[in-house]
Amino acid sequence: MSQEAMVNEREGPATAVEAAAGLRDLWWRRLLFIPTITLLLLLAIVPLIFSLGVSLFNYTLGSRAIWIGLGNYIYMFTDPQFWLATRVTVQFTIAAVSIEVVLGILLAFILNQRFTGMGIIRLIVFLPMMLAPFCIGLFWRFMFDQTFGIVDYMLTRIGLPAIPWLTHPFWAQVAVVVVDVWQWTPFVALLVLAGVGTIPAELLEAATLDRASTWLKFRQIYWPYLRFPLLLALLFRSIDTLKLFDSPFILTGGGPGNFTSTLSILGYRHQIMFFNVGMAAAISWIVVIIINIVANILIRLITPIKVEQVSTGL
Amino acid sequence: MKVLKRALGIALALLVAAVFLFPLLWVVLSSFKTKLELLAVPPVFIFKPTLQNYINAFRSDFPLQVRNSLIIAVSTTVISITLGSLTAYGFSRYTIKGSDFLQFWILSLRMLPAIAVVVPFYLVFRTLGLLDRHIALILVYCLFNISFAVWVLKGFFDEIPLELEEAAMLDGYSPPQVFLKVSLPLARAGLATTAIFCLIQSLNEFLLAVSLTTRVAETAPVGLSKVQTLMGVDWGLLSAGSIVFMLPVVIFTVIVRNELVRGMSFGRMR
Repeated sequence: MSQEAMVNEREGPATAVEAAAGLRDLWWRRLLFIPTITLLLLLAIVPLIFSLGVSLFNYTLGSRAIWIGLGNYIYMFTDPQFWLATRVTVQFTIAAVSIEVVLGILLAFILNQRFTGMGIIRLIVFLPMMLAPFCIGLFWRFMFDQTFGIVDYMLTRIGLPAIPWLTHPFWAQVAVVVVDVWQWTPFVALLVLAGVGTIPAELLEAATLDRASTWLKFRQIYWPYLRFPLLLALLFRSIDTLKLFDSPFILTGGGPGNFTSTLSILGYRHQIMFFNVGMAAAISWIVVIIINIVANILIRLITPIKVEQVSTGL
Repeated sequence: MKVLKRALGIALALLVAAVFLFPLLWVVLSSFKTKLELLAVPPVFIFKPTLQNYINAFRSDFPLQVRNSLIIAVSTTVISITLGSLTAYGFSRYTIKGSDFLQFWILSLRMLPAIAVVVPFYLVFRTLGLLDRHIALILVYCLFNISFAVWVLKGFFDEIPLELEEAAMLDGYSPPQVFLKVSLPLARAGLATTAIFCLIQSLNEFLLAVSLTTRVAETAPVGLSKVQTLMGVDWGLLSAGSIVFMLPVVIFTVIVRNELVRGMSFGRMR
């Protein structure tokens, strides 16, 4: 689509003065859109197409690129590491997001009470999601340490066995989910809380007078107002966990035995550690496609009437 | 019964606050410990605080990395707010062909995984000799922050009453003048909020930073991530460094606490 075609031309001018003003308006409107759209096209579409091209080459930095067509993809689909990373990524997403949604709703209702000091409690709860996921991962790695970590210390104090967080495949996966849930449950709660804030006060009062049961109240009064915030939270959280990188990278480096290696970590390894650019491009394209599919499904749920063709930056 | 319910609610709220505060407090506490106290089993809660970790952090490359982080974050924010406010205003005031499609496309950039642009940007910047330069990260961060700024700022511009702009037009202001002298000043709070979110997002980013910088333009998180690979982990330095690095973000969060919903939902909720 040409940039200029996007700007609506006005109807014919009546006088020369108006014509000059019309021309000035046209340039003004072009200034509003064209620089931004051009820059975004250059920064998003061009790299993606370039990366698609690169994924068709056997290209290791420092050696010549050789055209191999779908070779990288064929190799990838027969590589157990790729399937493990895909499984791990999907597992993290399903586990973390479902826990975050359930706990997020509960957290929202806990934070929806009114008493002095609630402002500070909310600030404390909403702070972690603003902090760098990298730092959060670092903190939890410190706390999960098997010898001096505070988590195992507390577990043994209350009579539970110490857990080999970060060194046992299963527990390392649990640790990654725990960190994600800790940082992002407040995000779900934040959106739910905003949704609760849009419920008309009369509606809530009426329900109190009717002495409706808690479940009925939730289903009939809260749910219609929480549908959109929850789907939005679901959309953002699913997409962000599908591209999860920072916290497993810091917590475990993808280990033990690649059991916390997400697709993003696998792609990063091929790129930065093995310099296998073609392979890294192929993996990153798979991430784009998976996110595309999930986002499309969720966006259709959000706008069931207006079905739009959606793409992730393409 | 009612009193009991209320007490239970307050107790739950306090418990929740403790769950979210404790990890942060524990790291703050640890940053004032000596190496021995840090690795003590069982963990020590009462000790004589030392500033040694902070001194060590400031004597390393860390201040340089923080400087890099700030240069990159501020530049990204300035570009994103400038272009973002123009386009957000455009979407808010004018109907252009394909407006819905364009807005949706910009929104969809929120979903673009960073790993997908790492490969092409790495190759392009390598060819141009821009790897490990500030400009490389600034450009890539603009991709994510401009799209963010457009959506969030559009919400703020939508809230400005059209009558004010129409009155200015009657006074003989041209459209660009209306934008600069009426709309932008009215959207001041929105611009500040959006800028703070852009700053936070740029400071916090890790995957692109670790892929596109190595030494010269290394950001603080990348620098900290390398501390842990040198002979064991210097947890004192790491915790002191992260706390210094996070302090501005904490202050920013306090400033924008009432606009968190808007910022975190890409402007889709307020």
